[in-house]
Amino acid sequence: MSAARTLSMRDALYEAPGPKTRHRVRIGTAVSAVVVLLAIAAVIRQFWVTGQLAPRYWSLFLQWTTWRFLGQGLLGTVAVALTAGAIALVLGLTLMLGRTSGVRPLAALCRVVTDFFRGVPSLLLIYFFFFVPAQLGLKMPSFWMLALPVALAASGVLAEVFRAGVNAVPKGQVEAALSIGLSRAQTMRRVVLPQAVRYVIPSLIAQLVVVVKDTTVAYVVSFPDLMQNARVLITSYDALVSMYLVIAVIYILINYAINKASVYVAHRTGVKIIR
Amino acid sequence: MTDLSVAEKDAGTAPVIELRHVDKHFGDLHVLRDVCLSVGRGEVVVVIGPSGSGKSTMCRTINRLETIDSGEILIEGQPLPQEGRELTRMRAELGMVFQQFNLFAHMSILDNVTLGPREVLGQSKEEAEKYAMELLERVGVAEQAHKVPAQLSGGQQQRAAIARSLAMRPKAMLFDEPTSALDPEMINEVLDVMVELARGGMTMIVVTHEMGFARRVADRVVFMADGQIVEEGSPDDFFDHPRSQRARDFLDSIGGH
Repeated sequence: MSAARTLSMRDALYEAPGPKTRHRVRIGTAVSAVVVLLAIAAVIRQFWVTGQLAPRYWSLFLQWTTWRFLGQGLLGTVAVALTAGAIALVLGLTLMLGRTSGVRPLAALCRVVTDFFRGVPSLLLIYFFFFVPAQLGLKMPSFWMLALPVALAASGVLAEVFRAGVNAVPKGQVEAALSIGLSRAQTMRRVVLPQAVRYVIPSLIAQLVVVVKDTTVAYVVSFPDLMQNARVLITSYDALVSMYLVIAVIYILINYAINKASVYVAHRTGVKIIR
Repeated sequence: MTDLSVAEKDAGTAPVIELRHVDKHFGDLHVLRDVCLSVGRGEVVVVIGPSGSGKSTMCRTINRLETIDSGEILIEGQPLPQEGRELTRMRAELGMVFQQFNLFAHMSILDNVTLGPREVLGQSKEEAEKYAMELLERVGVAEQAHKVPAQLSGGQQQRAAIARSLAMRPKAMLFDEPTSALDPEMINEVLDVMVELARGGMTMIVVTHEMGFARRVADRVVFMADGQIVEEGSPDDFFDHPRSQRARDFLDSIGGH
């Protein structure tokens, strides 16, 4: 696989800077570093002034029970996000296949469904699953009241991501597949989809980040995810700012890891279809 | 309908490929005008003409990668099916080689060649791979069998693409400008494979700009311009004594001959 190009996206999009530009870049770097440091200092000073750095706001993080409770919430977040992600993948793929099937009514239906889920805020969908099944006398676990709407919201986006991937597969690939006698379905399954999925793996994983963030409205349905558990701790310890800071860092770390994974996977699978 | 001015090799049998009064438009553009062509078994027909003359389009109508507005296309006397299983079966019997090779980018060369036989002809993996390796050997890329297309040169890719078509044991092969996307030094390795195929008795329609190949291999040269077949004849007749002004102008413009 040594055929991998070393040219990065940045090299392809920007020309190499000349001496004057390099000089300007150095000045810009120094100025922005100073600004950033000043901003951080200002934030810390403000915390100090308002007493947010007082031990009573931070001592709870020295207790094992705090971390265990947050850990349980994190597990809930991961479980919901993975479940919703998996459902969204299958549903998104199905919607895309329906929309590109060429069967008019089915295509139209899938298009409407896709646009609907893409356009409706996921919080609205969560409220829907919170109220409507209950009205109909259905008892739904809070896990599903969260996972389903988050999955539906993501499926609309994923259907479009898949469609973009399918459209990115060159027409010649389809023509070659048809010319050796493959049916439309075989062409889709053996030639188009495998390539389309490789194209969109980075976008798919990026969408998982959105799913993770969507799960933070779990409090609506009282599902014990990371955010909900953090809110419980906030009320019992009266440690609002410190707690939000800590879980923000945790969310950032999770999503950073997901993004890193996407870059890794894209690199691994991308090599095989360089043209 | 039978007044087709063609000299068939095996007179008496139905032509392998026959186009009767085929017309096609792309919007306002009349790309094929009353095209009639008949290709007998084992015949090699080379189609030449200026770009935009409809020669690629004609080639692509034969396995219905392009639809036609009117007229008829017959394969061994049977009308080309419009859709469904009949169409896929007919396509499987006509090999096609593209200008851009179009090897499946996510598969090894070997998988490219065995996909059709396994999915369409229902061959076992072993059976398909055995024949695939024979073919890859024949076109000289057996050593690249386990690489992906992007790792091969253009010439190697096109030879592998020819092997992919041959794996379906086609009745006829359609070549749509098979060397036009190649670097000059790779053109001959592909033409050599095509010459060998022609010598082996394959029925072929070749759209090309390679006049040397046409002269050497063609049983018949078809000259197209503005969507029409303007002139056809033996290579020597055509290149040495073109009858139409269009053909003379074209041959002058490409120089030589």
